[in-house]
Amino acid sequence: MVRVDNLGKRYGSRWLFRGLSFEIESGESLVVLGQNGAGKSTLLKTLAGLVSASEGTVEMPEGDRRLTVAVSAIELSLYPHLSLREHLTLTGALRGCPGREEELLDFIGLTHARDLMTTQISTGMKARLKLAMAIQARPLVLILDEPGAGLDEAGRELVVRVVAEQRTRGCVLLATNDPLERRLASLELQLAS
Amino acid sequence: MNSSWLAEVFAVLRKEAVAEMRSRTAIFTAGLFSIMTVVAMSIATYNEKLSPSGYAGVFWVALLFSALIALPRTFTIEEEQGTSDLLRLTARPHAVFWGKAIYNLIQVWLAALALSVLFCAFAHLSISIPWLFAVAMIGSGAALAGAVTLCGALVAQAANRGALAATLALPLLVPLIWLGVAALRVAIGPMGPEFTSGGIQASIGLVCYGIAALAIGPYLFAAVWKNS
Repeated sequence: MVRVDNLGKRYGSRWLFRGLSFEIESGESLVVLGQNGAGKSTLLKTLAGLVSASEGTVEMPEGDRRLTVAVSAIELSLYPHLSLREHLTLTGALRGCPGREEELLDFIGLTHARDLMTTQISTGMKARLKLAMAIQARPLVLILDEPGAGLDEAGRELVVRVVAEQRTRGCVLLATNDPLERRLASLELQLAS
Repeated sequence: MNSSWLAEVFAVLRKEAVAEMRSRTAIFTAGLFSIMTVVAMSIATYNEKLSPSGYAGVFWVALLFSALIALPRTFTIEEEQGTSDLLRLTARPHAVFWGKAIYNLIQVWLAALALSVLFCAFAHLSISIPWLFAVAMIGSGAALAGAVTLCGALVAQAANRGALAATLALPLLVPLIWLGVAALRVAIGPMGPEFTSGGIQASIGLVCYGIAALAIGPYLFAAVWKNS
């Protein structure tokens, strides 16, 4: 499903990671581990196509990448002047898939906050919204960067549910240093610092 | 062009409009600049009328700077607030470019309309050939929106935006200003029928310039959009 061959990313003369090769099949969950600055987020961004690789190749499932690959990352910003519901409407329209606004807001437990601007909600609520936007198109590959950051106990349960559901239709790549999230792994990749 | 593509363009356009209606940054900035230009001109030329060339020049300065203040922000703000990655993950580059270009086009046309009213009301501007003035405004709007959107799209991801924007904007805007002032000068007139064809040609040139910038824009934008 995802094939990475000899992947490397360099900033200037410094290699952040190099020579990474792995495959992930449907139903698997790869957890990327490493100290701060080891390149976990950059690796996930490279896999998502947000950052170009310095060397090597990444093969993702065939089809429209907007529908097959989705990302929820702590670094991903939201529009300050759009509400939660408007974010889901926007991403649904851009992807060409159903918005599923009410269903997803109910799933992440934020129906009551649907019309609040993202400047009016907490970090944890933003993390939930990003999860909802990521699973909106029912992607084959779900990339999660520190998905539990800022989430309460119920939010962490939500991440577990999302990962479990995702593994029934595709695979998950997850970067974390959280021992609880590490338990979600069927595969582990440790990046050297 | 299909319904999905149109829906994507409309989604970007709607997002821009909703965000602007709630923040009102561009409206206030461009509006303030337009009003201050007319006020300064009214004070400087109290009880006097400028020549058609003078009016055309000042009008274009006001329109150009209103556009330069507001339009490139549609792209640079995505990088500044960190939302460009969200767009990259969910949208096709052509839809992003067209959604923002149409939004910019509407903004420039509204600015041109507001400036026309302000100049007529407070700066003694009278227009000899209204239809040519309207065509020149439509053409100027299209050309300005095309050029500035293209510039904004290309420089948004650069580290040194200011220097790159100036380098890109100069060759793009000089011919545009030349055509725009030539068309407006004739429309404001009166300059005699022998000049009218020159004004029409300049207006057509503006429209063609706008079409060319908007046609090339999506392809250049797509090349710089996907990977940083």
